[in-house]
Amino acid sequence: MIPLDVLGNAIVMTVVITVSSFLIGAILGVPLVLLRTSRFGVVRVLTRALIDVLRGVPPVVWIFILYFGVSSDVIKLDPLTAAIGGLGVISCAYLAEIYRGGLLSVHAGQTEAAQALGFGQVGIFTRIVAPQAFRVCLPSAATYGIGLLKDSSLASTIGVAEIAFRATAQARSGGDGITPFVIAGVLYIALSMPLAYLSRTLDTKLRMKVSV
Amino acid sequence: MISVANLKKSYGDHTVLDGVSIEIQRGEVVAMIGPSGAGKSTLLRCLNLLERPDSGRITIGDTVVDLPAKIPVRTLETLRKTAGMVFQSFNLFPHLSVLRNVSLAQEYVLGRDAKAAHQRSMELLERVGLADKAGSYPARLSGGQQQRIAIARALAMEPEVMLFDEPTSALDPELGLDVLAVMRELAASGMTMVVVTHEIHFAQDVSDRVVMMADGGIIEQGDPAQVLSSPANPRTQRFLKAVIDR
Repeated sequence: MIPLDVLGNAIVMTVVITVSSFLIGAILGVPLVLLRTSRFGVVRVLTRALIDVLRGVPPVVWIFILYFGVSSDVIKLDPLTAAIGGLGVISCAYLAEIYRGGLLSVHAGQTEAAQALGFGQVGIFTRIVAPQAFRVCLPSAATYGIGLLKDSSLASTIGVAEIAFRATAQARSGGDGITPFVIAGVLYIALSMPLAYLSRTLDTKLRMKVSV
Repeated sequence: MISVANLKKSYGDHTVLDGVSIEIQRGEVVAMIGPSGAGKSTLLRCLNLLERPDSGRITIGDTVVDLPAKIPVRTLETLRKTAGMVFQSFNLFPHLSVLRNVSLAQEYVLGRDAKAAHQRSMELLERVGLADKAGSYPARLSGGQQQRIAIARALAMEPEVMLFDEPTSALDPELGLDVLAVMRELAASGMTMVVVTHEIHFAQDVSDRVVMMADGGIIEQGDPAQVLSSPANPRTQRFLKAVIDR
């Protein structure tokens, strides 16, 4: 069996990759969606193209590009950074689109009402539109987060010692090929459940307040 | 108080406002009537620049907007603070409690401290008869209640003019009564009001002047009793007959 501390480290590594790349996406997704919904057509078109490129390349390819491609004598990317960066790049594209869906769901009358009250653009976004869009985005963002948790296993391809990496190593060294992967599967499920539960509770709570 | 001179607005080939001019005195209550597409709502929405007119001049209080020149942000903000607006679809903020709906802009736009804003909000909720709903969320309230809160929210900015865009059109006739009662009280308190409405009774009883619009222009205006009971313009006669026959 895998020693418990090794297993613990693997779980921590999976969580670090998932949370870090999600945060990168959640933060960089904001400027991206603002550009994507810009007043200027050129900016919108360019941003959409960028998002399509970011999303169009599979996660494992992004991770390889960052690890083998960008890493040189000048820039040194260790496997963990490359994995987080690769997944983060894709996350910001996906989350920007999820944000956009949320923003579009906010009725135009909300902006007008805020304008009529004298709110400026920043106030309208931060006080009126974004909080309403947030609620709409929450379930999709959580679903994306769970997907990302599973995609974090791709970090094993460049040697990050997370759950899938440990499972592969164990399967190769021991005689039993199936048990390590069953354990890995159970661990991924166990990690995704609190996320799904949290999202559902929060969604229900917000829904009770807001919806008809 | 309000002066509009030769205001024009079109969407592509379609002319919505064809050189409209009107003067409204302080404390005056003006009811704007007319068929759909006459330009009533557009005129109202131009007054606080939710729509941008193509040309003309708008003066509200001390604020002057000359078009088509660029409007400074300062002017825009002043104008919108001077003129409060109530929408047909209420447009309350669904993610905020009734109290926050009324107090948010006081704090954020006027810079009032939370305590003063809270106090003013409660006074206004009292005035529209909904102080007991302060903690509720808009989705839990009837349309009539929502609209009264929307009025309180607009009044919280201490506007000098109130613009109403078909405030009762989305309401059951009975629910509209409470909203109209609040508007009557507001009119009696001396507020300058411009009301786009299909409520002929309200226009008759409360307004000081009825303005009839059709095809992007004002075709008739004057004393409510005179315009509503013996209109001079055949277009007005036809419109009023249609409204009353319904």
